Amino acid sequence: MTDRKSMRAGRVVDAEFQLIDRQVIDSEGMPVVAVDDLEVSDVPWNTDLPPGTEAPIVENLLSGPVLGTRIFGGRPPESRWQRIAWKHVVDIGTALTLDAPAKEFDAGWTERWVRDHVVGKIPGGRHDPE
Amino acid sequence: MKKLLSLALGILTAIGGFVDIGDLVTNAVVGSRFGLTLVWVTVLGVVGIALYANMAGRVAAVSGRATFEIIRERLGARAGLANLAASFLINLMTMTAEIGGVALVFQLVTGISPMLWIPLAGFGVWVVVWRAKFTALENATGLLGLGLMVFVVAVFLLKPDWGQLGPQLIPRIPATEDGTTYWYYAIALFGAAMTPYEVFFFSSGGVEEKWTVKSLGEVKANVLVGFPLGGLLSISIAACAAIVLLPQAISVTSLSQVVIPVIQAGGTIAFAFAVVGMAAAVFGAALETTLSSGYTIAQYFGWSWGKFRRPAEAARFHLVMLIGVIIAVLVLLTGVDPIAVTEFSVVFSAIALPLTYIPILIVSNDKQYMGEFRNGRLTNALSLVFLAIILVASIAAIPLMVITGAGQ
Repeated sequence: MTDRKSMRAGRVVDAEFQLIDRQVIDSEGMPVVAVDDLEVSDVPWNTDLPPGTEAPIVENLLSGPVLGTRIFGGRPPESRWQRIAWKHVVDIGTALTLDAPAKEFDAGWTERWVRDHVVGKIPGGRHDPE
Repeated sequence: MKKLLSLALGILTAIGGFVDIGDLVTNAVVGSRFGLTLVWVTVLGVVGIALYANMAGRVAAVSGRATFEIIRERLGARAGLANLAASFLINLMTMTAEIGGVALVFQLVTGISPMLWIPLAGFGVWVVVWRAKFTALENATGLLGLGLMVFVVAVFLLKPDWGQLGPQLIPRIPATEDGTTYWYYAIALFGAAMTPYEVFFFSSGGVEEKWTVKSLGEVKANVLVGFPLGGLLSISIAACAAIVLLPQAISVTSLSQVVIPVIQAGGTIAFAFAVVGMAAAVFGAALETTLSSGYTIAQYFGWSWGKFRRPAEAARFHLVMLIGVIIAVLVLLTGVDPIAVTEFSVVFSAIALPLTYIPILIVSNDKQYMGEFRNGRLTNALSLVFLAIILVASIAAIPLMVITGAGQ
């Protein structure tokens, strides 16, 4: 439950409308991913819930292969999940802002791979535009 | 003074952003076949692009989100991806036409086959996108693109019979042409004026230049002055063709016919201005479409993008553009006629118009995104009228293309 502290008390957010498919920005203003899906905590399924059961909470932002399964159906294998824990989200505006730079999250690995193996190796790739 | 300069430069870019190979070719073709009877379409297209580009620019300035982020946000992942696939492919087609257009301009000056110029044009576009600053590339192409003003001057130097030219402005189908062909070219002209990349580029450029609410006046000025001036250039190109090419029944199959009226009006000097203007406008459009290919994909997937970052800080964005340029060059090297690619690209742009413009209209009405800056009633009323026109053009494009054999 400590994960929920980062949410401002009393603000109601529509997950479908305000979280999913929104841009995620790191603490330095750099785009990281778009929210491809959300992971919410388990609720017993297909049974009557006793009164007082905790409502499910958003645990992680998901990105990467999960986008393909959201569009075409199915579920990615456990090893292919890219998660950003909800506690890192510090602001919900026209983008979601995280509390750390992109390099701290697995979700940025394709960007780093392309930078290290392709773009960074082309002359001028690491210089400011002139 | 500095502010005035930046305003002037912004307007220049809007002119450059409007006129590209599609406008050059389509307007000359239309002028040589239909005279001025389709000028009303260009006027309509200018109003439409000014209306929607201003909206997209306002959304970018207020929310900091560019057009394709919004398209995904509002349409969702699935419909957004379908939209991305269509928009990206049509933009790639436009980009191919522009790079081919650069090669054609160089052929016009040197007489050397475009096949030799195509790889050089592609490389030139990539190097500028890779290394040059956003404002530098915008300003240089905008300023040199003013050479196209020679088409306006040429209309007067040609001393046309105004009494005979004026009545052509009334929309009607010339006796020598079919009704379906007339409407096919009307849609092509509309597509050329409202090409979606103009909006992708304009809104992403707003984020590149870090527009805020304070920039809204500047956005409006760019749009309200720049696009109409671009439209004026387009109409002049059509008028030149109507004055010189139409009476002699010369059909436009390459850029050499586009410049015949200019040469007849002002000789070598006028030709030089026209060539510089065309080279800058088409090269500028090649840069804008290339950037748009990166903008659309990066914004959909939430990747880092933008010319204000080093390539290494927007690695996937630059990789997409590099691959895009390579594909465009390879397509052109198959020997396909760049003029034909251009003619198809404007019609396919017309088909794709609703994909871009509907989400912009929805978001610019969104309270959460736009707050007090959302659309007023007048803007919405006008936008809905244009949406109806856009839908009709989009739906009618393919049947007309089939019936007319692509305007033959």
